[in-house]
Amino acid sequence: MSWRFQNSWNASACARNLQRHSSSQVQPQSTALHFYQNRQLELYASKEANRLSLRQLVFFGRSMDEEKLIKSANYVRTELPVRIAHRLRDLQALPYVVVTQEGVAQVYELYWSAFEKFRRYPQVTTLEENQAFCGFLESILDEHAPVIPSLSLGLSLSSPHLPPDSLDAFMRRMLVSRISRRVLAEHHLALSKSLGTNSLSLPDDPHVGIIYTALNLRHSIDKCVALLRSRPHDIEDETGESVPNRGWPEVIVDGHIDIKFSYIREHLEYIIFELLKNAMTATGLNHRSSSSLPPIRATIVVGENDVGVRISDQGGGLSLGRIKSPSDLFSFSHIRNATRMDDTRLGALRSASSRGVKATVAEQIRPWRSEQSNVDSNNKDPEREAGIAPHPGIGLGLPMSNIFTTYFGGTLELVSLDGWGTDVYLRLPKLGTNLEGIEL
Amino acid sequence: MINLPVRAITARTVQRRRYHVRRAPLPPSAESARLLDSFAAHPPLPLTLSALVSFGNPLIPASVLRSVTYVLSEIPRRMARRVRALEGLPFIVGTNPYVARTLNGHRDSFNVLATYPEVRTLEDNKHFVDELDILVQRHRNDIPTMAKGFQECSRYMSPTQISNFLDGAIRSRISVRLIAEQHIALSHALAMDPGAAEAGVLVHNGVIDPKCSPAEMVRMCGAFVSELCEATLGASPNITIDGCPEATFAYVPVHLEYILTEMLKNAFRATVEHHHKLHGLASSHPLPPVQVTISPPTPPHPFLSVRIRDQGGGVSASNMARIFSYAFTTAGHADDQKEDGGPYAAQHIGGSAAIGSGSVGEGGNLFGEITEKGVQVGLGTIAGLGYGLPLSRLYAKYFGGSLDLFSLDGWGSDVFIKLRCLLDDAGNAEI
Repeated sequence: MSWRFQNSWNASACARNLQRHSSSQVQPQSTALHFYQNRQLELYASKEANRLSLRQLVFFGRSMDEEKLIKSANYVRTELPVRIAHRLRDLQALPYVVVTQEGVAQVYELYWSAFEKFRRYPQVTTLEENQAFCGFLESILDEHAPVIPSLSLGLSLSSPHLPPDSLDAFMRRMLVSRISRRVLAEHHLALSKSLGTNSLSLPDDPHVGIIYTALNLRHSIDKCVALLRSRPHDIEDETGESVPNRGWPEVIVDGHIDIKFSYIREHLEYIIFELLKNAMTATGLNHRSSSSLPPIRATIVVGENDVGVRISDQGGGLSLGRIKSPSDLFSFSHIRNATRMDDTRLGALRSASSRGVKATVAEQIRPWRSEQSNVDSNNKDPEREAGIAPHPGIGLGLPMSNIFTTYFGGTLELVSLDGWGTDVYLRLPKLGTNLEGIEL
Repeated sequence: MINLPVRAITARTVQRRRYHVRRAPLPPSAESARLLDSFAAHPPLPLTLSALVSFGNPLIPASVLRSVTYVLSEIPRRMARRVRALEGLPFIVGTNPYVARTLNGHRDSFNVLATYPEVRTLEDNKHFVDELDILVQRHRNDIPTMAKGFQECSRYMSPTQISNFLDGAIRSRISVRLIAEQHIALSHALAMDPGAAEAGVLVHNGVIDPKCSPAEMVRMCGAFVSELCEATLGASPNITIDGCPEATFAYVPVHLEYILTEMLKNAFRATVEHHHKLHGLASSHPLPPVQVTISPPTPPHPFLSVRIRDQGGGVSASNMARIFSYAFTTAGHADDQKEDGGPYAAQHIGGSAAIGSGSVGEGGNLFGEITEKGVQVGLGTIAGLGYGLPLSRLYAKYFGGSLDLFSLDGWGSDVFIKLRCLLDDAGNAEI
């Protein structure tokens, strides 16, 4: 009976301590209110989400005028709470012990706060009110920046209570819905900004809202490559030792290099950025003792219905020791991907959740820029202040890329040639006719 | 809709948020979570009656102290698992006040027992028994409370999920009560005759009565149910006992009491309601009696059987599939909005006080006596919530028995209760 307390004083002290923590009359009351008020939520959750396609977003955004803009504002105003309500119901179905845990509880509260705010927001009828509404939207987007790492942290810690399939499915639904809400919100914000100005400004980079209608894949790749190659060299191997600096590998682009298509630029660039980042890191690690780094090849292909990019590296392949198959790298569950429970991962997630993560390229490069320029110490941007190294990664890059890819029906596949390198196949639909991949 | 500038809206929302209750409750402290983990990690030993009986055979101070050790390791392990199971329910179900109350109650009791200081002497044991008694009392309404909670949560969980959860919860509860009550009974027996105990000549079976008389039980439960029936429905049928009324067997009386009471309640209610339907309310037609037949164990089958036969109209074929599921009831309306439970409206949670004041010694206050004996479920608080049949079956099956219902639709029902004898002739536990 090694766990029996031998010393009775210890035991009673412990008992007193526990009594202080044990729930008293206060808690049951407060959750009761929440339980019975759930009807409001259920009302919204019973509505179906209105799924849109890229084409519809573009079509609606061309030839914007005041009336259409206000219509857009009210569409966003009424559609978002429905999508948030679906997520809240989803959270409510998770086990009790998971939702009361750090990270998940924070997200639950945030979502409720957003739901209540949207629910009560009055109708928009003038441009001025739209201005105010845009301010409101921006504040909500900012407020929800910690959601991704918070949720990832909370779920990593809750892995024992959730089977991997439901964890992944849940996380996927959350993130897809989140992307969809941000797309709607940011598209409306962009449309509001461009009203009055020539909506197809920047003739060499035309866009409608957040959708760039002549997105040049090659340019996007080049841009990401330039950003990646300009960052400080900071690769660490598995033991935490720094790998000697031999610069970054080159990226050679070939294939149908001049194609253009319509897509949300930020999504595309995030995916390419992440994939190239992984390729470069792997290459650097795998060739730490050789004199030069083999290049990474990015091949662009355009097909009938989609455009694709194949990224081939000689980074030694995926470390399939700790995972069963490449698609496990997309999983949020620590059972599928044991690296999630590494202390460095969890620690990084914790600091990320206090800073917030928007999953954009701009967010990733800001800390590097701050190291290069002389940072004004009065600058309170928390991302700059953190100035963390580009990695150790929070481990969200691949899962997020996968979600961005599949959002309008694309695919992302990884194949490993163990000991040699990895090939990544990215395909994005180009017709813009697929509907958003959110659950109704 | 009033147009308000955004700033005012935000201010109002902030104000509201100051009074806004935190929706995601705080988790328990890390300390108590660790303690819970350590107990949940060890699965409880399977409950063997022979273990429980051995503490009283012979009943000496040393065996009672051994019993304490058993109690302090087995009950917390079971409670830890219950807490885990409750914590695993969907979040929204966990916020239901009744479910939350159950969870918090279990956590508190677990903490008390898991941190209880060592019991070394009979004096220590006396305090421990008092503490244990308090805990038993505190949990006496657990099942009605959970029943109410799940009723309110029926749209968040499927009937199968609820069923599985409740099966596990109730079985665990029966075990915990058995262990606790056994220890309490043995401790009391020891205290009553310390001399014989010291001498090592005392043998006590605790909660098992080696000569439990089903006929006596039927009479006792029948009287109680009769009062209940008269009070709520205005009439009650008689009971006839045939077969082998003098048969006795070794069993846990409170279990038998519960089963018989619930089955008699069903039989009585059906009889009166069916009779009223056939002959109107003010008829002088006699109520058909409820016939109880007792069949003693015939070796080598150590089972005693009780058949309860009524002429209450039977159960329709469409209902037969559902009568053993939780929360199926034909009493009142199972509408989660209405508090009204039909003729059983007086019997809701905590309403046990409304029926009988619960003080022992008051002549003929049967209900009080029953609660004093620590009956597993508040009798008279369940009716109308639809738990009678599934719960009775769980009790019957607990020691390897069975409970079945056969219906003559339009005439009446027969309920067959088969219970295992717990002790053989030599007084040893069979299981």
